Amino acid sequence: MQSKIKKLFSSKEGILLIIFILIFITMSLLSPNKFLSNYNIQSLAYQLPEFGILSLSMMLIIMTGGINLSLTFTATLSMIVGGLAMSSYFTATNMPFVSVVIGVFVMLAVSIVLGMFNGFIVSYIGVTPMIATLGAATLFEGISLNITKGGAISGFPLMFLNIGNSAIFGIPVPMIIFIVVLIFMRILLEKSKMGAAIIMIGCNPKVAEFSGIKVKKILFQTYMIAGFLAGMAGIIMASRYNSAKESYGSSYLLQSVAASVLGGTSISGGEGKVLGTLLATMILQIISSGLNIFGLNRYLTNVLMGFILILVLAINYIAEQLKKKK
Amino acid sequence: MNRLKKIKELPLLIVLIAISVFIAIVNPAFLSLENFLDLLKSNLVLAMMAMGMLFILLTGGIDVSVASIITAVNVILGQTLVHFTQNIFVVVLIACAAGILLGLMNGLLISMLKIPPIVATLGTMSMILGVVLYTTNGNWITGIPQNFIDFGRIILFPYILGDGRAIGIPIQVVFLIPVILLTWFVLKHTVMGRGIYAIGGNIDSAERMGFKTKKIILFVYSIEGLIIGLSAVAHTSIMRQVDPNAFLGFEMQVIAAVVLGGASTLGGYGSVFGTLIGVSLFSVINNGMILMRIPTFWQKIIVGFIIISSISVDMIQKKREEKQKVRVDVEEGGTYAV
Repeated sequence: MQSKIKKLFSSKEGILLIIFILIFITMSLLSPNKFLSNYNIQSLAYQLPEFGILSLSMMLIIMTGGINLSLTFTATLSMIVGGLAMSSYFTATNMPFVSVVIGVFVMLAVSIVLGMFNGFIVSYIGVTPMIATLGAATLFEGISLNITKGGAISGFPLMFLNIGNSAIFGIPVPMIIFIVVLIFMRILLEKSKMGAAIIMIGCNPKVAEFSGIKVKKILFQTYMIAGFLAGMAGIIMASRYNSAKESYGSSYLLQSVAASVLGGTSISGGEGKVLGTLLATMILQIISSGLNIFGLNRYLTNVLMGFILILVLAINYIAEQLKKKK
Repeated sequence: MNRLKKIKELPLLIVLIAISVFIAIVNPAFLSLENFLDLLKSNLVLAMMAMGMLFILLTGGIDVSVASIITAVNVILGQTLVHFTQNIFVVVLIACAAGILLGLMNGLLISMLKIPPIVATLGTMSMILGVVLYTTNGNWITGIPQNFIDFGRIILFPYILGDGRAIGIPIQVVFLIPVILLTWFVLKHTVMGRGIYAIGGNIDSAERMGFKTKKIILFVYSIEGLIIGLSAVAHTSIMRQVDPNAFLGFEMQVIAAVVLGGASTLGGYGSVFGTLIGVSLFSVINNGMILMRIPTFWQKIIVGFIIISSISVDMIQKKREEKQKVRVDVEEGGTYAV
């Protein structure tokens, strides 16, 4: 038991858990009426999943040694196309259930196709992920703008709103989706052959190639899965906001990189834990909502978030140096 | 060696010329002197910032905080001009100092604390932009003194058009040209430049070869800061006011332009000439889309498409060359030395 506790405290995830608990306690003590209120805990539970799923999608790509700058635009383009299909089918036929099924199906299908597009350019053509996805981001944003003409797609059936706003046995539906995604990611990265291959590619693609891994194929599939996850986040966002627009979730782009790296994912690839990313996402989420409750100016919240990101990495580095000295 | 290098930028140059010819056929106004000068004036800041980014990319780093740094310097510059001094030299010095300090902050985080560049600059971007937007509340700074506005309006080698308007080279080239020359000189003719390329190739071997890698990294981020400071002066003198939101998302444009010009985000590859072509390509495309009256919503699609396709073509070309090189290697018994 004692050794287990020691192990927990010395692991990256353990430290993150402690930081999370400390921040949670501090926030609760500073503002027990508001931070611990039913309303705030509820809204945290509804907000976390979309950010969490996007962070996991980003983490997956970072683990291969890449980065996905088109992440949020993948989510929004798929929700726009799917949303358009859903609302136009709904106005034409007035069948809510069928239109929701069509809408969700189109959103997921589009997100997979967009993921495949990125994957094709990165793996088969060999363009650096940052540039490939930067180009893709511009492209997806352009297509989205062309469809919406700068406005938002709306007119969804009421049933669709249940995905993002209702609860089953007291657990919010987005949270259930998030938990399923977490379990899926955990199996994919930490238990499956593909996960092992992703880690090897992230460490060194050439060595992976020589040890018999089909690097191109695995990379392509990884981008496809990452696109699919972005699509899931897109569905939750579209349902929560009751509309689809190209700028939704744009602040999550860099935050998801921050969450992955804070969670211990190496930016050069090959290293990362699902639990770490989850904890980091939770930390960032409670900080931003906590500061919001305290009425801190949102620009200063940005300053603080940037500062925390750098601080944690600096502490990591210093701790590592100290360990080496020992 | 030299011939090989020249060939490297040739495909891009051909793309640039082809696009220019296409635009000129659709709208001959593209080829007018006036349009050319307009192009120069509106993309000069991009060109300068691209030089700064080139330094960073060459070392294998990346800086996503450039847009926030130029915004911060612009605000400092604007406030100084409005409240403290109208002396242009003092203002330029203050802008440079502010740029260098902010760049140095990135450099210290990256070289001393070994924080990966993309994460470090992501953090500083969030911090700098947060402070700027908090202090300005997103409001524009207006009321720039007349002498600074007059300075920004100066044109060199004026030429009087038929309708009485004078056109000429914008004064802001006095910032652009030294920046280009400085970048070229440092990269081509100094030990520092060789160190920069060496770090981008492999930082560990550069260290073993005796390059002081920490110092070099501090240097590139500081010189980038200096260039951003000068860019801020050029920008404010063109715009005659400061908009804290003017550079939203600009960092991606800068990075894309440099990479289009042949620089690798993994470091070690890239040149001043290539970067200039990349910037020109970007500016010509943006300008051409306006001249061809392409609806704004289509413009992003086209830019995204061009980024992806031109880099893909470049990549396929490189792969083919590499295959040929290997063949030459085998056939000539490995005498092919690069």
